[in-house]
Amino acid sequence: MTVAQLAQPWQDHSYAFLDESAKRELRRKTLKAIALPGYQVPYASREVPIARGWGTGGLQVTLSLVGPDDVVKVIDQGADDSVNAANLRRFVARMTGVKTTTDALAATLIQSRHRIPEEVLRAEQALILQVPDPEPLREVEPDISVARQMHADADYGLSWLLLYEQLVRYRRIIQGDSYPALVHGRYVMSPSPIPRWDLPKLHHSAHLTLLSAGREKRLYAVPPYTEVRPLEFDDVPYRVEDQRAFACFRTGVRNKFLNELPQGDGSSRYELSDSGYAEKLLRGDLAGPTYFDSEGKFYHDGYLQG
Amino acid sequence: MAYVAARGGEQAIQEAERLYHELLGGLSPERVRAVQEALPYLLDRVMGEASLYAPELAALALAQTGGELYEAVLLLRAFRTTQPRLGYAEVIEQDRVLTLRRISAAFKDLPGGQVLGPTLDYSHRVLRLEVVKDGSTAREAAAAAPMPAPSHYPALAAWQREAGLLPPHTLDVTPAEEIPDLTREPLLFPAPRAHQLQGLARGDTGGILTLGYADMRGYGLTHPTINEMRLGEAEVILTHPGTGAAFSAGRVRVSQAEIVTTFAGSNETPQLKLGFAATLGWNEVKVIAAAMLELNMRSPEAHPAHTAEFVLYHTEPVEASGFCIHYKLPHYVTFQSSLEAMRRVREPQSAEVER
Repeated sequence: MTVAQLAQPWQDHSYAFLDESAKRELRRKTLKAIALPGYQVPYASREVPIARGWGTGGLQVTLSLVGPDDVVKVIDQGADDSVNAANLRRFVARMTGVKTTTDALAATLIQSRHRIPEEVLRAEQALILQVPDPEPLREVEPDISVARQMHADADYGLSWLLLYEQLVRYRRIIQGDSYPALVHGRYVMSPSPIPRWDLPKLHHSAHLTLLSAGREKRLYAVPPYTEVRPLEFDDVPYRVEDQRAFACFRTGVRNKFLNELPQGDGSSRYELSDSGYAEKLLRGDLAGPTYFDSEGKFYHDGYLQG
Repeated sequence: MAYVAARGGEQAIQEAERLYHELLGGLSPERVRAVQEALPYLLDRVMGEASLYAPELAALALAQTGGELYEAVLLLRAFRTTQPRLGYAEVIEQDRVLTLRRISAAFKDLPGGQVLGPTLDYSHRVLRLEVVKDGSTAREAAAAAPMPAPSHYPALAAWQREAGLLPPHTLDVTPAEEIPDLTREPLLFPAPRAHQLQGLARGDTGGILTLGYADMRGYGLTHPTINEMRLGEAEVILTHPGTGAAFSAGRVRVSQAEIVTTFAGSNETPQLKLGFAATLGWNEVKVIAAAMLELNMRSPEAHPAHTAEFVLYHTEPVEASGFCIHYKLPHYVTFQSSLEAMRRVREPQSAEVER
């Protein structure tokens, strides 16, 4: 026997870059995450050829799930052509040869940073959110060992206190993105830095959502049709961003999440953040139903009180 | 609009990468060889942080990135993580390491003696301007010692144990393939000692120094002494899968440091306590600082900045550097969300609590 016989024939990389032992670990941890909604499952988090903090957690999950028949969409801030989204999409395509798309409804896997698409996703789709900080308790407890114990005890008093202090200080809850949410009545999770506009979309969704933090080595899941409730006082309802007064300057659409674009004359104009959706509207293609209708009404009746 | 240019993003990033390499000049086998020959200590630093002993690949990574150290480490780590495990080397003890340099600050002389070996410690830090000015290539060859130094040395700690100054050494007999491996498992706390030592070994040299220096300056134990510091070459002993015979696959450069403190243990019979660190490659500053941290991480009253969790999370070079540069990515969705919340507070009618 020689060393050469023991070694595999040379190839630059495995299908989807990760070696099979890394994929197996990711798939096992993904199943565990789905079985325990909102629970942060630690995983080894291998290095990938993308800088840490640039979507390596989401990328590892995508690479462990993707197969030859998949169609992949990658977005950053809602945009398919954002530079890092373009780079991640190029990497996945290069390592697998899969088809890519900008159409949220045509994709089987959607990897996203900071946004959930506006069109209602379907049961056979998976949304993979890149997560910088998986720990919703980080702000109140920086020690991760202590935070783990607090999760075990469902000890979320400090999270409520944080919101209460905001009310006392500012008369408003000032949490912008990453609004903490209770999943399946058990674990509080950070939904990743999506705007408050997007958080309700996770509640009783038909699709599977996987959230993965590569740098922090944690992944967690919101399985289909799972209860997701933002932390909300009975008398102070959760509110999504109020952009009712604005319309997208390119499509005229209202009641979708909009980017504010400062103008030279001191004013602002607005455009749809979801570039794939905007693309469809501009081409005159038939878009799917959206989580918020044209009047701003959320598709789960009665879920939003504010 | 170049940041998120419609359809332009993909072309823009490819051209930006090409421009980087154009400014560097071409990559060639000659350039890689030149880096490998001229910069062994830089290679050692990068190989230590990458946990991959491969001087040629480290030189390639440095040449390919133009010496951007964090990028070079990531290149090597991303390569390393996909490689299959063909075998596990035998554990090697100090007295079996071919030692080229060995210092103890604890005693004037010690069994085996002090061996300065190759070092710049006592050099005058004067730029040799004549090299660039006059093209001088003059160098003084080292004279051979009358008696060649021994190649192997006993551990000073063995003598200290014999004298009852250190607690007895219990050999850890965990089979190699069962030693917790930080590169294949998540870091959890309380972290096994193997993870702690691995984390320090592959930690960011600058980060390890920063926290280690904080210990030395006053946030750690007060009287640390370098018990022993060694640079050496360790045989990589493997078992042949066919014949079962042990054989050496070659030697790797290693460095290790022991820090010792007095008055550990009980008040009645105080003992010495050792801090330890070792890395692939010769990284003197790093192993001294890391051994200092290792000692402090295990002390019952570690300063918050020197707990295992703080040290290991914040000295991870790939994660720290990656997260630092990720702030260049667009964050306009989260910014918009916070801005909206701030504007609501600024509204004149916001005197009442929102209901």
